[in-house]
Amino acid sequence: MTNDPWLRALLEGAAVVTALMTAVAWITWLERKIAGRIQSRLGPTMVGPFGLLQPLADAVKSMQKESIVPRDADALLFWLAPPLTLALALGTAAVIPFSPGLLASDVDIGVLYALALSGLLSFPIWIAGWASNNKYSLLGGMRMVAQGISYEIPMVLSALVPVVLAGTLSMGGVVRHQAEHGWFVVSAPGVGFVAFLVFLLTALAEGNRIPFDIPEAESELVAGPTTEYTAIQWSLFAAAEYAHSLLASAIAATLFLGGWDGPVLPPAVWMVLKTGALFLLITWLRWSLLRLRSDQLMSLCWKLLVPLTLLLLLGAGTWVTLAT
Amino acid sequence: MSGEQVGFWVVALAILGAGRQVVTSRNLVHTVLWLAVTLANTAVAFVMLEATFLAAVQVLLYTGGVLTLMLFGVMLTTRDTGFVDVRSPLHRGFAGGVLAAAVMALVSASILRTPLPEARVTAPTTEALGASFLTEHVLAFEALSLLLLSAVIGAVVIARRRDAGDPREERGPAIRPRAPRAAGGAVRLGAPEAE
Repeated sequence: MTNDPWLRALLEGAAVVTALMTAVAWITWLERKIAGRIQSRLGPTMVGPFGLLQPLADAVKSMQKESIVPRDADALLFWLAPPLTLALALGTAAVIPFSPGLLASDVDIGVLYALALSGLLSFPIWIAGWASNNKYSLLGGMRMVAQGISYEIPMVLSALVPVVLAGTLSMGGVVRHQAEHGWFVVSAPGVGFVAFLVFLLTALAEGNRIPFDIPEAESELVAGPTTEYTAIQWSLFAAAEYAHSLLASAIAATLFLGGWDGPVLPPAVWMVLKTGALFLLITWLRWSLLRLRSDQLMSLCWKLLVPLTLLLLLGAGTWVTLAT
Repeated sequence: MSGEQVGFWVVALAILGAGRQVVTSRNLVHTVLWLAVTLANTAVAFVMLEATFLAAVQVLLYTGGVLTLMLFGVMLTTRDTGFVDVRSPLHRGFAGGVLAAAVMALVSASILRTPLPEARVTAPTTEALGASFLTEHVLAFEALSLLLLSAVIGAVVIARRRDAGDPREERGPAIRPRAPRAAGGAVRLGAPEAE
């Protein structure tokens, strides 16, 4: 290992991004297989054994296709939106502790950093919707913003519950506290568990996944903000969506399920297992539930989740005061 | 020049350049996006001063602010041009210049009068910040919360204000059930419902 801190940071960043993008490629395969089974079909089977090489075939195909920019689109912003989306989605990885020693940067505001980046995600998607100069794209972008800034509030509030319980904003610190005092999903009875559910739900909404995918509701808006996108740019959006789901699962595992903490197996394996289990849960939800209507989405957020998370925060504070 | 100084000048120029674009851009959406670039670079400046908490909060809060501004911008202007021509006559430009100079003088005077420490100070940790909010600055903190609370209540009141006597409004925001289908599948619009 080299001693130059800049080179080291660069290498670590490259390693994390490569690992993530590889994982993203094959979770698309996994999702298609699960979706197939849920809908009584087989999913991809043709390319490689069990269709395992399908992601590679898809990548090659999307790179070969022509990238079309609509004549009246805002070309610069149209080009800028997909890579920006992916960059923001991947940026969260910097603060996720995969094992006690493997953490790109243990800044003391790790949780806030992850939440801030997650909240930014609706930004490039709105840009895509506006730059496309298409009414469906713009409507989708508008819905994304409305949903994004509404659900950010219960998301931040529910993520503050483990912060209050652990007494630190650092991701590594939250995990270390759980390794000593038990996972938050069970250790603070009720409060931790409900906060975990709310966080998972709001992470789905920020990531534009069913049941919260009204921005790209295909029955009304063709494909929402991504309607005009083709080829590799569309693939970047898809990759960003999967990367966000995966990283949101990782953050939920870190904040509530004890991160890398676990018996017998090495820490990194536990982290991967927990993240994978949460991702499977999200996928299962996606193919089982219906899309919420716009007004139902807003009522759920403002009338249920926001008051609930405020109460949870109060409960967490009370719990900490009583415990010490 | 040290690496840190180079970094400072890069960020400072980025802030100023993006700020100039905010004012001169002819397209409303571009203006708002340049504003986002300005604010993001301010967050970078905070990081360079080791005030990471401030940087994260800057990103977290201004995202929502800028996005809302963008929505208003798009919804309240025409799509064709995306901007309203507000070029003003010369005397107004002169007044603007005087005003800008006055603000500049005020800000620089207050910066110059503030005794800045010579030595390098480390930014307070998040913990220290939180503690000072609830001890030394608790009055200002509570006053701010009260202000925000009144703003929230005001927003709810304005959003809920309705014309009295409009029966549609009293049913609330829920989507009304579809008119029942008559025999043969035709929809009876406006027909009184048989109880």
